[in-house]
Amino acid sequence: MEAKTRILARVRRALKDRPKALLPEHPHATFPEDPLDLFLKRLGENGAEGHRVDRAEALALLKELLPGFPGAAFGKGVPPELRPPLPELPPEEAPLGISWALFAVAETGTVALSAEDGRRTQLLPPAHLVLVEAERVYPTLLMALSHLGPLPSALGLHSGPSKSADIGQVMVKGVHGPGRLMVVVLI
Amino acid sequence: MQAKAKRYPEEAARLLKEKPQVRTAVTGATLHFERNRLKAYGEIDAEAWRERAKAVKNHLLTHLDHYLELAEKRLRENGVQVHWAETPEDAHRVLREVVARHGVRRAVKAKSMLTEELGVNPLLESLGVEVYETDLGEYLIQLLGEPPSHIVGPAIHLPLEEIQRLFHQRFGTPLEASPEELAQVARRVLREAFLTAELGISGANFLVAETGTLALMENEGNIRLSTSLPRVHVAFVGLEKLLPRFQDLGLFLPLTARAATGQRLSTFVSLLQGPARPGEEGPEEVHVVLVDHGRTALLHDPEAWEVLRCVRCGACLNACPVYRQTGGHPYGYVYSGPIGAVLDPGLLGLEEAHPLPFASTLCGACQEACPVKIPIPKLLLTWRHRAAEEGLSPAWEKAAMGAFLKVMASPTLYRLFSRALRGLPLPQDLLPLLRAWTQGRGPLKPSPKPFHELWQTLKEAKEEGDGG
Ligand code: SF4
Repeated sequence: MEAKTRILARVRRALKDRPKALLPEHPHATFPEDPLDLFLKRLGENGAEGHRVDRAEALALLKELLPGFPGAAFGKGVPPELRPPLPELPPEEAPLGISWALFAVAETGTVALSAEDGRRTQLLPPAHLVLVEAERVYPTLLMALSHLGPLPSALGLHSGPSKSADIGQVMVKGVHGPGRLMVVVLI
Repeated sequence: MQAKAKRYPEEAARLLKEKPQVRTAVTGATLHFERNRLKAYGEIDAEAWRERAKAVKNHLLTHLDHYLELAEKRLRENGVQVHWAETPEDAHRVLREVVARHGVRRAVKAKSMLTEELGVNPLLESLGVEVYETDLGEYLIQLLGEPPSHIVGPAIHLPLEEIQRLFHQRFGTPLEASPEELAQVARRVLREAFLTAELGISGANFLVAETGTLALMENEGNIRLSTSLPRVHVAFVGLEKLLPRFQDLGLFLPLTARAATGQRLSTFVSLLQGPARPGEEGPEEVHVVLVDHGRTALLHDPEAWEVLRCVRCGACLNACPVYRQTGGHPYGYVYSGPIGAVLDPGLLGLEEAHPLPFASTLCGACQEACPVKIPIPKLLLTWRHRAAEEGLSPAWEKAAMGAFLKVMASPTLYRLFSRALRGLPLPQDLLPLLRAWTQGRGPLKPSPKPFHELWQTLKEAKEEGDGG
């Protein structure tokens, strides 16, 4: 407790004669562009693969997207009817993780993943496929964050494949997290 | 971390002489970052975003006591254990206790400049804990035993060949291994560490007071892993890292990413609310250590308090023509470049860091780049002024300024001296005052004619022209 008391006392002393600054509001930009179009475009620019599909045809698309994967780890939120028929593997061994996104952001090409869905599936497999409902795609990050309900214990915002240029300034993918990100928007 | 900022001039000169490859590597990397930032600022109303970010941080800092207490309350409600640290020793105590109670043998660390300040790695090692830096660049310099040379790209000073040699020696990879191959080797070693470590350590980019949310930005995924896999997560947070509202992240996350790397958002952002809930994966225990370590003293400073707005994006380093020549090592402390030059004297005391504010041409590029509009050039002058008042300015400068005053006050001396300067072929090195200047710079090239003669010629020519 003592350190806290001393720190706060020093802060108050420091601020005694300092004029208080006002907290500005964040303007909400109006967004003319269709957020879905922009979202898919931005995913592409971020090095991710974006697809949009009718919910009824989603399973067919998934089967098409995932040839050669011997199995997958599944997020808890992935609805049973959208699970591709792949053997379920633990995330440490799976070549692919399939997650259900809480929401997405068009402007930044981002999917938001809740701890409730399963953090290991989001992080350990080298490839990651994320399903998100079209009505959960927000135009801007500010809008998404202003509309969130109760916060999950951890929210991961993923905007592309894991990458690093730390070795000789050469861009390398898949350093720690998934090196491939596929996003399927369900209409 | 032991500060060696006092030796900046010697260390900078030594590095330029002994490791010219560093200059090439750092210049290349920073110019690349700088181009990306300019492009990313060009896409938005950068002026308005930066002005708003500055205002939010000013509000936060002028109400810091309120927001600190609010953050603590929210963190506790989220099930986070909160600690306050005035000194590195306070921070060490938290770690000692966690290590003992959980029998920690291995720790994975996400890149954090604050943990460098606090000497977290040496402390953990002294407790017998194996520490893995997990950011790829940070891992490289850990293997080499070097400190980071850039806030965002800690290993930008290392040319590829040096890393190839390092991995050849450590892991037996071929000398011509590609960056992909090297990264895969690091991934394998560090994946094993992630899966077995009991403790994850991180800093924080932001801590939202309203919700008790820790926000961390990165591109590799190592921060998400460090804060998701181990049983315990300890986050060190500087007092100035707070934000008032959750929605402020909607401005600060993208703005910081644009400033740091030119991205619209970092590839991964972690927004953490505390320990895993029943049935979830994630840490059982989360600790947040709120660290002062010189920050309240800076807040007290009527001018330098503005540096506390800093979000550690590194944009000022990338923009700085002086930093680009050497990278961060000669600055001798955790924070280098323009932000280091105005922050370090505040954190370490001017006595320890007085050469740093002189490591600038005052060109103003840093201020143009800064996402929270810190008036770095003005603050450089503030610190220089204080250094002079405390008799700490470089000896050559004091002598030179004294001589300069005498010369300038006497027309005869002035003419004599300026003629001497122009007349000398290249014995500038012989004049001790000039040597101090030319040691770190190119030679002076005096104009063949003094200004008043040039002016006279120009004036006459003009009058002739006007008359005709
Ligand atoms: S001073 Fe400004 S530009 Fe430099 S690191 Fe801090 S926020 Fe970034």
